[in-house]
Amino acid sequence: MNLFFQQIINGLTLGSIYGLVALGLTLVYGILHIPNFAHGALYMVGAFMSYFFMVDLGVHYWLAMAGSAAVVAILGVLCERLVFHPLRHSPPIHDKIAAIGILLFLEALVQMFWGSDFRRMSSPFTGIMNFDGLIIPEQRLLIIAGAFTLVFALQMFLRKTMTGATIIAMAQSREGAFLVGIDANRVAMMTFAISGALAAIAATLYAPINLVYPAMGHLVIMKAFVIIILGGMGSIPGAIAGGMIIGFAEAFGGFYISTAYKDIIAFGLLVLILSVRPQGLFAKGAH
Amino acid sequence: MKIAKKLGLAVAAATLGISLNAGALAGEVKIGFTGPLSGGAALYGENTLSGLRMAAEEINAGGGFDLNGEPTTIELVSLDDRYSPAQAATNAKRLKQESNVPAVFVPHSGGIFALQDFNEKDNFLVMAYSSVPSITEKGNGLTLRIPPTFDGYVRAFTAYAQENFGTTLGMGGATHEYAKIWATMVEQEWTGKGGKVVANNPMDYNKSADFFTGVSRIIAGNPDVMFVGGASEPTGLVIQQARQMGFQGAFMIMDQAKIDEVAEVAGGLEMMEGSIGVVPLSVYETETAKSFIQRYKARYGKTPGSEAAYNYLALHALVEAMDATESTDPKVIRGAVADALKTMDASKNPYQVTAVTADGGFVTQTTLAVVKDGKIVREAIK
Repeated sequence: MNLFFQQIINGLTLGSIYGLVALGLTLVYGILHIPNFAHGALYMVGAFMSYFFMVDLGVHYWLAMAGSAAVVAILGVLCERLVFHPLRHSPPIHDKIAAIGILLFLEALVQMFWGSDFRRMSSPFTGIMNFDGLIIPEQRLLIIAGAFTLVFALQMFLRKTMTGATIIAMAQSREGAFLVGIDANRVAMMTFAISGALAAIAATLYAPINLVYPAMGHLVIMKAFVIIILGGMGSIPGAIAGGMIIGFAEAFGGFYISTAYKDIIAFGLLVLILSVRPQGLFAKGAH
Repeated sequence: MKIAKKLGLAVAAATLGISLNAGALAGEVKIGFTGPLSGGAALYGENTLSGLRMAAEEINAGGGFDLNGEPTTIELVSLDDRYSPAQAATNAKRLKQESNVPAVFVPHSGGIFALQDFNEKDNFLVMAYSSVPSITEKGNGLTLRIPPTFDGYVRAFTAYAQENFGTTLGMGGATHEYAKIWATMVEQEWTGKGGKVVANNPMDYNKSADFFTGVSRIIAGNPDVMFVGGASEPTGLVIQQARQMGFQGAFMIMDQAKIDEVAEVAGGLEMMEGSIGVVPLSVYETETAKSFIQRYKARYGKTPGSEAAYNYLALHALVEAMDATESTDPKVIRGAVADALKTMDASKNPYQVTAVTADGGFVTQTTLAVVKDGKIVREAIK
């Protein structure tokens, strides 16, 4: 029975990280219709920033996380201002090419400054809780709790504040939003900032139980794209549900069937869900 | 008309440039390298290249070597193949055509096999840094295998583990080609010697973000020994997670991972009590090894691994062979490397390789290391 609960914990941990990364991706897509392939690179820069703050400057874990979130948020805004904004009237393919360009640029930049070494970043939460054989490292619990808190905070921000409402309005109807006088530039920058901050926080939560290296973004960005297609492009609940579905499929499929097949299980689910709901699980809700 | 004139001028300038270039290259031999310099395996590629760079710098700092009475320097031409065999093949073709290299260093088995398809025809030496036995068993006349083959390790590790830790084995390992070949040999050897494989779950380091699920699957089989391996750092994560989940047994570590590097990620040697692996260079007691480590540290600011040391000595041997034979012909060099290894300065030979087998393998004494009471201890192979 313990093994079963162990897989639930594993699924929740993975699902939380995937969900957080997918959330940033889906926000940008839902509001600006940009498939931001560079999102994985932002995630990677987030991990390196936290590493820099913690290891080189000796800052505390939480402060490092906040600093990293701020830096990557600014980086996200810069991407929007310098790259995507000037391309707003171009055909959609230009956005995609630009996003891949940013991805390559950021990876090369990080490799130039930090080299390609695998790095370890340890958080203050290294303890391991043992509930009668069920093993939960503290950091994993922190990931799950952190993800749920962030999702809740984001929901509150979007639903209960005026600024958040402008983002939702843009997602629902661009023309409508313009008609009531919403500043599209402000919303675009805000969206990129939130998306970047989410990526940085996800990376900082996950880095202590993993490695930090320039190619670390590839793994999560692939999954994040699957998740937002599964959940419905642009849907916030879709990103979270999708993240959990993929996380649990990997944990349970990997344990009870075989880790070699866990991707097949996840992609099989994708095919199944898309054949029943081609628009994704939650597409209608957000748009 | 004007345009045509300009074009003609440009062509003329370009040809002149090329011929001038060729003139400048007279006292220089180019050596090729293709390996992963970006992506997930970038660190491994960089480490390999660092050993080659160090050797080239040492040779050039001493004024190069003598080739038919002319002082000649070495220039390394390195290309990124992102670990892809197809890209490695393209790179090698390019290195041969553009730089006319007599030898290409490749640090991965996929790339080596790809190059072996045409290296005899295109006439260049494959300097293979990989322990897969079939690299030299194929009978390719222009291949030199730098590290020892791993079949010796498989036998030695298995014998030691079965004698000291128990007879049930959980297979971790990894899913890349090299790890698969290793795993197959380990399984055969383990069951052949009367052991039992109780779980089989290799980790996919390129697709998995987390190993908890895979590791818990192996631990559920309750093995005495767990086989793990791949690049050192992810292997360290696997070991750490296995210990976190309460695995008390021993680890048998594939030779790609180095115990000292693994320990840094796993959380110290205490986490690795009872691990069997190859002897990390940092544990070698010989003067030559120590001198190499010292120079490497001064140059790069970190402790070298075996990939740096082996490639360092291989380039030195290659140049020594060119110096001795006054030739850059791959066939001639290939024949002279064994003697070069014997005659070259001992400080250039951290592993004290002194012979080459008929099929082109460098002969190194294989030893194994065990973590005992929090220390890396060298054990003789019986």
